[in-house]
Amino acid sequence: MVFSSLTFLFAYLPVTLLLYFLVPLKWRNLVLLVVSLFFYGWGEPVYITIMFVSIFIDYTHGLLVEKYRDNDRKARWFVGQSVVFNLLLLGFFKYWDFLADNLLLLTGVQLPASITLAGITIPLRNIPLPIGISFFTFQTMSYTIDVYRRDAPAQRSIIRFGAFVTMFPQLIAGPIVKYKTVAAALDHRVNTAEDFALGARRFCVGLAKKVLLANAIGALWDAQLAAAEAGALTAAGGWMGLAAYGFQIYFDFSGYSDMAIGLGRIFGFRFLENFDYPYLSASVTEFWRRWHMSLTSWFREYLYIPLGGNRGGTAKTLRNILIVWFCTGFWHGASWNFILWGLYFAGWLILEKYVLKSALARTPGWVKHLYTLLVVFVGWGIFAMEDLGVCGGYLAACFGGAPLWSAADGYTLKSYAVTFLVLIVASTHLGKQCWQRLPDRAQNVLAPALMLLALAISTAYLVDGSYNPFLYFRF
Amino acid sequence: MTNAYSRFLSALFCLFLGGLLVWHVLLPDRARSDVENRTLAQRPEFSWSALVDGSYTEAVEAYFADQFPLRDQWTGLKARAEQAIGKTEFNGVYLCGDTLISKVEAPDAALVEKNLSYVQRLREKTDANVYLGLIPSAAEIWREMLPVGAPSWDQTALLAAAAELGLPQADLQSALAAHAGEPIFYRTDHHWTSLGAFYGANTLLETLGKEPLSREDFTLEIASEDFNGTLYSQSGVHWLTPDTLEFWVEDTGLSLTSWRTGAPEAGSLYERSYLKEKDKYSAFLGGNQPLCVIKNEAVTDGSKLLLVRDSYSDSLAPFLSQRFSEVHLLDLRYYRLPAAQYAVENGIADIVVLYSIPNFITDKNLVFLAQ
Repeated sequence: MVFSSLTFLFAYLPVTLLLYFLVPLKWRNLVLLVVSLFFYGWGEPVYITIMFVSIFIDYTHGLLVEKYRDNDRKARWFVGQSVVFNLLLLGFFKYWDFLADNLLLLTGVQLPASITLAGITIPLRNIPLPIGISFFTFQTMSYTIDVYRRDAPAQRSIIRFGAFVTMFPQLIAGPIVKYKTVAAALDHRVNTAEDFALGARRFCVGLAKKVLLANAIGALWDAQLAAAEAGALTAAGGWMGLAAYGFQIYFDFSGYSDMAIGLGRIFGFRFLENFDYPYLSASVTEFWRRWHMSLTSWFREYLYIPLGGNRGGTAKTLRNILIVWFCTGFWHGASWNFILWGLYFAGWLILEKYVLKSALARTPGWVKHLYTLLVVFVGWGIFAMEDLGVCGGYLAACFGGAPLWSAADGYTLKSYAVTFLVLIVASTHLGKQCWQRLPDRAQNVLAPALMLLALAISTAYLVDGSYNPFLYFRF
Repeated sequence: MTNAYSRFLSALFCLFLGGLLVWHVLLPDRARSDVENRTLAQRPEFSWSALVDGSYTEAVEAYFADQFPLRDQWTGLKARAEQAIGKTEFNGVYLCGDTLISKVEAPDAALVEKNLSYVQRLREKTDANVYLGLIPSAAEIWREMLPVGAPSWDQTALLAAAAELGLPQADLQSALAAHAGEPIFYRTDHHWTSLGAFYGANTLLETLGKEPLSREDFTLEIASEDFNGTLYSQSGVHWLTPDTLEFWVEDTGLSLTSWRTGAPEAGSLYERSYLKEKDKYSAFLGGNQPLCVIKNEAVTDGSKLLLVRDSYSDSLAPFLSQRFSEVHLLDLRYYRLPAAQYAVENGIADIVVLYSIPNFITDKNLVFLAQ
């Protein structure tokens, strides 16, 4: 189930809210666990078993780590087990096909397509990816590591732990919630009317971003990609397509994060922010401090710093940056273009750190913003096109390998001019600043009106529903 | 935020979501939607196997969306919102002033080539004269009305390709283009109007060596002034003035036989019951059917014409019946016996393969021509 669906908004969510707030406080984690399992099982009922296994293994490992905390070797051994288990889970479901394909390509070794254990044949290839596996494996890994590092106490209640792992607001598309962020709220939280109202408001903002803004521009990217494949792409069309994709993925993903944060707040949890106006960045380094912050901070905390970070001299730092960005790219998908995308950013980050730093300091602000957007949007091209041949052709067209302009581009630009304008403004602080300048009374009148408007128009688009893909769904 | 205000905002949110849920539950399920011209998904039966393979939850989602309260109004609201931000394309339909025009996507070149070759094969198989009649759609004839630069496939490319193969054609493109300033297509439907069909009929009659018809021969009957066609449904643009549906040809002296179920049944030129429904264009000949024969007792020369056709011929056939003893209409989507053999069995001398171009380039049934 995705948030931006009629079934979620008008069946699952109202029933869930009713159940959650009807039961006494001490039952609420159980309700959350049960409704979250239902949410997860809705799309792929069989995969609920993965949830159960995952909850059980990480729960017991958390306890084991705590039990042996005085015996560092043993504690490390259990942390290691939990990390290996999660990586194997992710590796099998997400990366097995990719590894097997490339092994065959590189060495000619054919891995079996299925194995038979005790008379049961288990297929190994083309297995559908369990939704959200990239997110929940990272969250459960953070749990045992946090317990080991004494950043959080082990969770004794399997219900509470299960509620943390399966918590539906952030289950399928993040933000990646570290255990320590919600540890206290799991044990005792207060549900206030203000939290509910602010959460609901945030949810409406996210819903509008996803349904109204992201979907509105998505069709433009699809059209340009089709033009590229048909050999009819112009340079102007190419850039409009990249911008469209950049806006689509931002509003799609940050809208989803807003909805998650809003829902979390309704249920009494405070998740950390996941986006901080990334397109306002004046350098690639800054962009990655503002984009998908829960992922970058996860990699920093659980990979980059354990590897030694930047404390071991230039060579080691370079190695660590490359490892982290290889992993970041690969995390986004089991395909070479994602690895390339990660390394592309590693290249720019290294360049900024060691070469461009002083030059950037002397560059006027608008040039820095333009440079950042250019690097990021070209990056989206690599991200969006799995077929590197198509990707190469597309980017070549953008950089002058095709006619600059066509009449169709004029029509496209005219059709999307207002949309682009709205998206640009929505990517900046402007809306927030205007809102904050309004007197309280105006805010109080406008907030419910805007919420209703967002809900109603989003509903109209969802009912119309011809175009509602969710980009991050398969990650 | 005061406590009371928080409660107010929260209640608003819950009422919107919960209110529509309650409404959905209380609202009786509809079997079909006239506006969308399709049956709606019904409450699915639960079974464990359907749950495990995922088809149950999919069916629930489809059911929930199809039976959503105010479904048509939501779609209209969406179109209004799109219009407000400067969009002129609505689900593949362009809004051009007060007229809706369906966009034509570039076709699969291989399919087009095959479809043309099937017409060629029919020519080789039969002794009857075979003509190809390709009707350009509004997107071609009214191209100047489209939003500036709006893409729509160049339909004359198909005419050129057919000419290159040496297929004898009825030049409907020129005939319609000459009258582009007149209401020859509906504004809310993809078909041609009776006026458009009249011009089309004269082009065909000229090609077939028959005397053309004159407008003065007909007395117009306004059958409906409240016709919201297929494009109205597809686009969600619900605020245009409805179309007027006209009957030109009087049905006296014409008898119509329909094979809807495999057996011949008497039909009528105009099935007026459709005028009370959404799908008013189906009033012409009573809509889709595998085979239909119109006989005109006033024409005594025994001339017979076979149209292998799509729905554009429903409004065209009454005109053609004025010059032929018999007009046979065969729809390959439902009629699967060889057209060549049908012509022989019925002593037919002229065959016209008559399609609107958007249908011709996407139809997968033309293969039956070659049999």
